[in-house]
Amino acid sequence: MRPLKDAQLGAFTFFASALPHDVCGSNGLPLTPNSIKILGRFQILKTVTHPRLCQYVDISRGKHERLIVVAEHFESSLSDFQKQGKKASSEKVLQVAYELLEGLDFMNKHGMVHRALSAHNVLMDCKGNVKLAKFGLYHMTDHGADVDFPIGYPSYLAPEVIAQGSFHPSDFSHDEAPLPSGPKTDVWSLGVLLFELCAGRRLLQNIEISERLKFILTLGCMDDIVTVLAEEHGCLDAIKLIKAFVYRELPEHVLELLRKCLTFLPSKRPTPAELLGDPIFNGVSCLYTPFKKPVSLFSSSLRCAHLELPEDISDLCKDDDEDYLSERAINEVYHLWCLAGGDLEKELTNKGIIQSKPPICTLANFVLEDGESFGQRRDRSFLLDDTTVTLSLCQLGNRLRDVAGEAYYPLLEDEQSSLPQSNSSNELSTTVKLPLIIRERDTEYQLIRIILFDRLLKAYPYKKNLVWKEARVDIPPLVRGLVWAALLGIEGDIQAKYESTDKDTPIPTDRQIEVDIPRCHQYDELLSSPQGHIKFRRVLKAWVVSHPDLVYWQGLDSLCAPFLYLNFNNEALAYACMSAFIPKYLYNFFLKDNSHVIQEYLTVFSQMIAFHDPELSNHLNEIGFIPDLYAIPWFLTMFTHVFPLHKIFHLWDTLLLGNSSFPFCIGVAILQQLRDRLLANGFNECILLFSDLPEIDIERCVRESINLFCWTPKSATYRQHAQPPKAAGDNGFGKAASYYTSDYQDMPKTDLSRDPLALCDLKAEVAPRISAEDLIDLCELSLSGPGKRTRAGKPKIVAVDIRNLEDFNRGHISGSINIPFSTAFGPNSELVQCPATGVLQSYRGRVIVIISHAITNAIMFAAHLVKVNFPRVCFLDGGINKLKPTGLLTVPSPMI
Amino acid sequence: MPSCATMKKNKGKASSTNEKEFVFEFRAGQHNCVLKVPLQFPVQEIINDLHGRLMLLHKIPCYIETDLKSSLSSFVEKETILDYDREAELALQRLTAGDVDINQLTNAWTRSYVETTLEHARPEEPSWDEDFADVYHELIHSPASDTLLNLEHNYFVSISELISERDMELKKLQERQASEMDKVMHELGNTLSDHDVNAVASQHFDAQQVLENKWASEQKQVTGIQKHEYQQWVISLHQDLQKSNSSQITEEIKVQPSQLLEVADPGARMFEEQPQLEESFTIHLGAQLKTMHNLRLVRADVLDFCKHRQHSSAGAKLRRLQTALSLYSSSLCGLVLLVDNRVNSYSGIKREFATVAKECTDFHFPFLEAQLDEVQQVLLYARAQRSSKQKEQPEIPRNGGDDKNKNVERNPSNILPGEFYISRHSNLSEVHAVFHLCVDDNVRSGNITARDPAIMGLRNILKVCCTHDVTTVTVPLLLVHDMSEEMTIPWCLKRAELVFKCVKGFMMEMASWDGGISRTVQFLVPKSISEEMFYQLSNMLPQIFRVSSTLTLTSKH
Repeated sequence: MRPLKDAQLGAFTFFASALPHDVCGSNGLPLTPNSIKILGRFQILKTVTHPRLCQYVDISRGKHERLIVVAEHFESSLSDFQKQGKKASSEKVLQVAYELLEGLDFMNKHGMVHRALSAHNVLMDCKGNVKLAKFGLYHMTDHGADVDFPIGYPSYLAPEVIAQGSFHPSDFSHDEAPLPSGPKTDVWSLGVLLFELCAGRRLLQNIEISERLKFILTLGCMDDIVTVLAEEHGCLDAIKLIKAFVYRELPEHVLELLRKCLTFLPSKRPTPAELLGDPIFNGVSCLYTPFKKPVSLFSSSLRCAHLELPEDISDLCKDDDEDYLSERAINEVYHLWCLAGGDLEKELTNKGIIQSKPPICTLANFVLEDGESFGQRRDRSFLLDDTTVTLSLCQLGNRLRDVAGEAYYPLLEDEQSSLPQSNSSNELSTTVKLPLIIRERDTEYQLIRIILFDRLLKAYPYKKNLVWKEARVDIPPLVRGLVWAALLGIEGDIQAKYESTDKDTPIPTDRQIEVDIPRCHQYDELLSSPQGHIKFRRVLKAWVVSHPDLVYWQGLDSLCAPFLYLNFNNEALAYACMSAFIPKYLYNFFLKDNSHVIQEYLTVFSQMIAFHDPELSNHLNEIGFIPDLYAIPWFLTMFTHVFPLHKIFHLWDTLLLGNSSFPFCIGVAILQQLRDRLLANGFNECILLFSDLPEIDIERCVRESINLFCWTPKSATYRQHAQPPKAAGDNGFGKAASYYTSDYQDMPKTDLSRDPLALCDLKAEVAPRISAEDLIDLCELSLSGPGKRTRAGKPKIVAVDIRNLEDFNRGHISGSINIPFSTAFGPNSELVQCPATGVLQSYRGRVIVIISHAITNAIMFAAHLVKVNFPRVCFLDGGINKLKPTGLLTVPSPMI
Repeated sequence: MPSCATMKKNKGKASSTNEKEFVFEFRAGQHNCVLKVPLQFPVQEIINDLHGRLMLLHKIPCYIETDLKSSLSSFVEKETILDYDREAELALQRLTAGDVDINQLTNAWTRSYVETTLEHARPEEPSWDEDFADVYHELIHSPASDTLLNLEHNYFVSISELISERDMELKKLQERQASEMDKVMHELGNTLSDHDVNAVASQHFDAQQVLENKWASEQKQVTGIQKHEYQQWVISLHQDLQKSNSSQITEEIKVQPSQLLEVADPGARMFEEQPQLEESFTIHLGAQLKTMHNLRLVRADVLDFCKHRQHSSAGAKLRRLQTALSLYSSSLCGLVLLVDNRVNSYSGIKREFATVAKECTDFHFPFLEAQLDEVQQVLLYARAQRSSKQKEQPEIPRNGGDDKNKNVERNPSNILPGEFYISRHSNLSEVHAVFHLCVDDNVRSGNITARDPAIMGLRNILKVCCTHDVTTVTVPLLLVHDMSEEMTIPWCLKRAELVFKCVKGFMMEMASWDGGISRTVQFLVPKSISEEMFYQLSNMLPQIFRVSSTLTLTSKH
């Protein structure tokens, strides 16, 4: 979005019409409230950016179908001209006309019509340039169908608009929606506006509305509309004077322009685009350069192609006392304004725009069985008052007073410091330690983070590594969509790819998609809006069509939801993110026959439960509450089916930083939060509990899953059906894959790696296997220098050699303890008390790696340990034999 | 390679769609190719997608990509404008041809503007009620609230005295009449005939009527005076407050005689405190995003929520203050009262309710009778509206409408099961709005379903709660106020389950109407059910609603 510059933020409010009582949609579901329809349609307006249009920023829903729209705003408008009673010079008229037409033409290109053109909706910025306000009202209300009030102002309505009639919702005689108006209706309104500008006063003001409209309609019989208007105008003044004014004072080309605009028949009236190219403007058009849309982050063209640096770079940093905040994008400023305590309803209430009556005074007297109420007094506070209120930025300014100018332009070269140096950096470094929820509400912190990420993203993919690094701290909600895209490594011309995917031709999956969408995260306003449904459908279909080897499984809709929500105006990006996410975390989950993938996944998950929480695992296995019963929707949708969006965001902020085994840890962390209740209950209660998952503290869940992840040896979550290693060299800018983020599968496969295992064998094992590589790394046995991780980041480990003493003495890995398999357990599989088991007890809590000769012994030994609630038990894949070739086995020097 | 493809037609507005053919010619090598695409107007699709699909479907070489795109979009643009022009001129023609009346047209426009926009709306007539509401709301949230409450209480006391005096006099009269009657009965057959006895009886009745009327009019007069005085006082206090600075006034208010004399119990009329059984639950609704609500199961008399208790108990005063504070706020309390099909207060629970509503002057809203009169009129208006609409559209018979229509035709001033009227009160102890829901004898039978009018009425009540910020609502769980023989334990359990489940469904529906504002729903069961039954019901509740887990403060492992 554009920088705020000298603009201000404005807000206006209106009500959507209430729905009729007890009417269902064609699919049997309740109708979508009109305010939600409007909210969905509004979103696209945020992307309509043009220097002649007031940038739309946000819309929010209030109580009782109230909507508040936030947009760029300027205090002065064309109506100021009228108030002063000045006649505008013909140059001024032409300039205004040209700029207005530029704006209108741009809107038309986006399929929008203004319809509500009037003097007070044509704002003027400080340089006197035109800014069209409320240009999206007609679009967002579906041509006025979703609101009670007519869109447009009586004096400016084009004759065909009047003739097509007003459709008052309470008037049931007309069933069909009003016919939409075309771009030429705006040209008429423009004509009236320009006429007023020439005459220096408002037209048709003192006549009653119906007379006004009749007058406009009768203009059709007149030959020269401009003259007639002048005469009407003249009923107040001396007619002759005005006539003289029209013909003497107005230059011919202005008169020509007025005539063209005020052509009665639409077919003869030019469109804004045609008018813009008219020779009338020959003198004006050369002063303007055509608007070029800035290149988006993901495109095939060069982003810096049009960058022009001044000869002298120091020109860029001339003014010192600049207002840095106003250089930030409008939506950023609004976001910060909200964080700094801005409250739209309060602002509007203070200005008297929102007036509410006590509800007790507006109760109906009587309600019929079908819900229709009677005797309710008409509440004046529901009437439209579309005055725009300027939102004061004082509070925000005060809040950010101490932020130094340098903070607005952080240097990115220094990869060491995560936060830019500023006066308040101390304060910020303490903020980093606060809970995420608080950080997300801290104005100053968010400002710094947004600026930082904004700059990093501008340098994407070059600064990919830094994006990763900063994302580990946190991701500001405002830029989450793009940051996620960066984390998923989206690159290239995604728009072209998306456009060339056929999203319209019917496919067999359509029916299922159609059923699922109205049930997917519908508590959310965006996703429950008709626009949301359309976008859902298109993104899902695009994915299904472009992945012929995979199929649509229920749950894909939930998976799509967070991406669509974050990139609501950029379907292509939502599609690209989803397409990148699925192979990374859900490789082959969407195969037509995915049972082997899911079965393996769930088995590894139950091993993870046993590894981290043996007591819980034992209990769940005892009552037969296996992951198949509850965890499939968790993993198939990566938890998007079980959590609301705001929790998914925080969960995925971390998930996207981890590798494909991170979801196991999340699963275990969720179970651990419900641990007490699970342990206390039997099968039936557990099923009930999970049928409607209780509230989960997501921040705790994230924290604990990170902890679990750190304790998990990488190879423990090895799956043979995981994504095969990527071809080397696709990390274009050399993303240094850190230990946590890279997948086990991506590591080069060696003799020491884990071997694939048949599913039935895997299922028989309670504890996970780890590879010899991992063991060597974790025990720091490697002879070739230090491991990849520093000591501090590694889980503590103890190797338990369960071969008999003889074999142990012949060679073992250093630091391992020997507990021969045969001696460790008693008849009831309890741990026998002996010095060796005592040592084992003292190592409780560490990762216990069991090393054996025969793998079956290791499996049994591990199972026994889990049975007696030893946490973090795993065993070496392949046993001691794997280590023999490495030359790492040592023989203890004989005791003397 | 002249290809012609029929694309899938897009569904548009049925009235004004038409098909146009887009023709595009290009050269591929030596071939002249023609691409013909029928397009449905108005075009709903995104042009870029359409373009992408054409490229894919017809395997169009990439070197014409940009040409195709620009020619496609200019075609669509041009044709759309033509469509707009045609529709627009059609409308203008209809007008000149006289198919549409110009006066009607412009009047409809005028009405739209006048009824929906502030700029053109008729200026608001000042409403005394709303001004008073503002003033009161301001005062009750100021230090003056205590004085207001005391004043109200004093008025209450004097009404109570009046009522006890009335009761005393009526009692005396009844006693006198009883002894007279005894004498008469004694003489029956001797000196007096049946006729004489009847005469005496009717005379007694008349005397009783006269006395009752006298007291009723007296009470009405007193409440009228009280209301007037009170409102005047509130207004003048407010004016004073505005004139001088507030600290001074608080002094003044304190000086106000706060003669909080505890009057002696004015008789058995005041209900005695009985141990209420109640249990509270916090529940979560919703699959992913959960909203929290409070539920309460209460065993009490429905009028307990209306009656004022003695001021002496601190809880009563607080409750009174709470009700007064929230009267003009956006968190109201509502109560569902089950009534028969007549809008009056002559019999049964309606009469009892009216008695309670009169025990204390309503300083804000019209008397109950006046409100009921208004309801009656609105009801007649609603019936007239409905029947005229039905005549217009006779083809939609509503479900089982015939039966009902007959009923309505019989007596249009009666209400039907599932319909309800609303009365507003400032003088009840815990309630601002009462929903008088009409039920018939059907609710006593064991086999009502979720489609029963009474249940639909509940749904509409909850909907009104949504639109008018009633955040606490009390619902009779068994849909009866009194227990009777046929209401066995299985009957109760079945009924409770039905109402719980339906209310749960409605609450989830409400979340989509108001964005899941937290509310309190109180389920009321009659006083006469056993304690055991009560606990059975309270065990049932958490099985139907998901009760939120208790917060465990154990340390994390």
